[in-house]
Amino acid sequence: MALFEIFDPKAAPRPIGIDLGTTNSLVAYVKDGRPEVIADCNADRLLPSVVFYDEHGGAVVGRAAQARAAESPRETIVSVKRCMGKGGDDPETRRLGPYAFAPPAEGEANVVRFDVRGRRLTPVEVSADILRALKQLAEDELRSVGPAVITVPAYFDDAQRQATKDAGRLAGLDVLRLLNEPTAAALAYGLDKKKDGTFCVYDLGGGTFDVTVLLLEDGVFQVKSTGGDSALGGDDMDRAVAEEIFRVADLPPERRTPAIIRAVLDTSRALKHQLTEREAASAPSPLGVGPAELTLARSRFDELIAPILERTGVACRRAMKDAGLRGEALDGVILVGGATRVPAVRAYVKKLFGKEPLADIDPDAVVAMGAALQAHLLAGEGHKDEVLLLDVLPLSLGIEVGGGVVDKILPRNTTIPTGARATYTTQEDNQTGFQIHVVQGERELVADCRSLARFTLKGIPPMAAGMARLEVRFDVDADGILSVTAKETTTGLEQHVEVVPSYGLDDDAIEAMLLDALDHGEEDLEKRRLAEGQVEAHRMVLATRKGLAADAELLAPGERELIAAAVAALEEAAAGASAAAIQSRISDLDHATRAFAERRMNAAIAKATLGQRLDAVEKTVEHAKGIDLAHAEGTRAVG
Amino acid sequence: MSPLDPFLTLGIERRFEVDLARVERQHRELSRALHPDRYVSAPPGERRAALERAVQVNEAFRVVRDPVRRAEALFALAGVPVGEDREPKAAPAFLMEVMEHREALAEAKAARDRAAIEALATAVRSREAEAERALARGLDGGADPATLVGRLGELRFYRRFLEEADAALEEWTDGSL
Repeated sequence: MALFEIFDPKAAPRPIGIDLGTTNSLVAYVKDGRPEVIADCNADRLLPSVVFYDEHGGAVVGRAAQARAAESPRETIVSVKRCMGKGGDDPETRRLGPYAFAPPAEGEANVVRFDVRGRRLTPVEVSADILRALKQLAEDELRSVGPAVITVPAYFDDAQRQATKDAGRLAGLDVLRLLNEPTAAALAYGLDKKKDGTFCVYDLGGGTFDVTVLLLEDGVFQVKSTGGDSALGGDDMDRAVAEEIFRVADLPPERRTPAIIRAVLDTSRALKHQLTEREAASAPSPLGVGPAELTLARSRFDELIAPILERTGVACRRAMKDAGLRGEALDGVILVGGATRVPAVRAYVKKLFGKEPLADIDPDAVVAMGAALQAHLLAGEGHKDEVLLLDVLPLSLGIEVGGGVVDKILPRNTTIPTGARATYTTQEDNQTGFQIHVVQGERELVADCRSLARFTLKGIPPMAAGMARLEVRFDVDADGILSVTAKETTTGLEQHVEVVPSYGLDDDAIEAMLLDALDHGEEDLEKRRLAEGQVEAHRMVLATRKGLAADAELLAPGERELIAAAVAALEEAAAGASAAAIQSRISDLDHATRAFAERRMNAAIAKATLGQRLDAVEKTVEHAKGIDLAHAEGTRAVG
Repeated sequence: MSPLDPFLTLGIERRFEVDLARVERQHRELSRALHPDRYVSAPPGERRAALERAVQVNEAFRVVRDPVRRAEALFALAGVPVGEDREPKAAPAFLMEVMEHREALAEAKAARDRAAIEALATAVRSREAEAERALARGLDGGADPATLVGRLGELRFYRRFLEEADAALEEWTDGSL
């Protein structure tokens, strides 16, 4: 039986969960109902998130790349996650590190670009190389890899999320969902322990800190609040130690070469690791001057990292307040992330929350395990009806109004998916377009928030100032990613919205990278589109049949025949070789099932609200059309 | 364009006074039926229809959970214009109170007087509760909503004041939760 399985050439694609970490990345899947992290041929489960680029442009990922870091510090990218979704001038690029950065060229997106042997690499491309290595690892184990869930820090903003999704797409993954890391960890814990209650996840990774408060009840994991710092983690501990080493050795700046900086950072990390078990640590000095051995006492290390811990405390207090809770109301505190192995971190968390934190699932693996569980559930393979994750928007979304002030349209900790609408009017006669600047953050001034994008609305019919009414709709999907649509309500014209991301790549840039990444460009891309179309067609046919079988009584006379014809046409197209034909039949079937889908949805609502007064149910169903913002909003004028 | 009725969306009575535990329960059950995670492999039409409704349910949840937005929704449903630039001017007595509170907070902040800020916050919190009770009595008791809009303005002010006071207190916490 086992032999048969191994040699089965048509293995069913298995969904995977990926923890794309700052320091290490992991891939996991669900085997016999339990999440399992995939190890490489050396039984290693952690793939260092390190990429070395050789002379020929080839990418080496993991331990082999790590081994090159010392001799090729500029060509070996470490901790790329910290640069995801960041602008070319971000403070992150000026921190202690060995890299050379390239400024964006005229007309190019404002993103970080590493200068590696004259090649200009974005963090999205580097991350895609890590994801490809993980995908390969999974293929070696499972033979056929299905859709993926990729985790992101809960505190990642829109640009950082979009960049992660882009990297997944570039790596050829079918990304089902971006899942917040603390929520993933909670899922792994919750399903393991089957215990309801309110939990706090304290997740200190290599480069990011997240804190999430969530309520687990009846299989629903409802995030109450989240907070954190997307540039705070174990790396900063290493930097603090490295800076101490430079300070003590009094090494002049000109001798701090990329190779020395890399070596000192590595030594610092080694010292930190030793201090987990011991009171004092020592390592050979990479400096070439002064004593041959460097030593560090745990007490001194604890002093060096105290400011980092204090920053996590600020985020924890705020998250608890947002959740309306005090420390004693928690049923447990869960530790996640390699940096929570540091004894001072554990002691700090214990003092902060007044209870002993839980760390019985490997803090390095727990996020990947949760991601695998979610991928398994989303792919429809698990006990789907029992488990649901309800996550939130981590940072408020707002729009710039007069005087550089932010008008918040969606507050942080709003359950996603969500949306809001705002109405604008023109300020000048015959104004035919205007710009909306969307920002993310909690501060009052635009300058203190993170700029996400500028949306340009065009094609407003010429009218007197103040006459046009533009309704702009902001939608945040279940991945926490924003999209904007607009319409002019006096004429009902849909407006064209042109998006210029402040710190991201646009679709054209991603498309170009995709082409670049494939050996035979266009030809390969067409093949890939065909394969993707076939998968989608297959999925759609199956789902449609399932729906027809489940809710046959909701069909109108003659509807079944119409749908069946559209299904047959799609199946025929899927057997062919044209991606465009498949897309066209998909859209036909979509059209044929639209009314049926609406009826099924209303039935689902009615079923969910059973137990309430029957007339209310009917009203709800009737009402469940169109979306509107309940609290009335004033009309904003934007120049 | 008619305003959405978040109470109807959640299947609860249209009142200012709500049972939050019940709201949470309704939200959870509706999410169970509509969340996009449930429709990952559904045909695109169902995915869209579910997403649209899930968004609507979450919006309704956000509105109903929050007293200010809840009151705004009730006024809008009753046809009373709301939104800070569309409401009548606040009463002089209330504006007086606002000024006094603001001055006291500014002084306490300048003096870094934690106890004074906490005392102010406590006083304002009880004023906030009072405004909420008045809204509940009026809106749920059939009073003319137009006569109650002023209370909404008060509620907004108290909220903002408490946020500011909290922010000041947050700066000097002692390290415990």
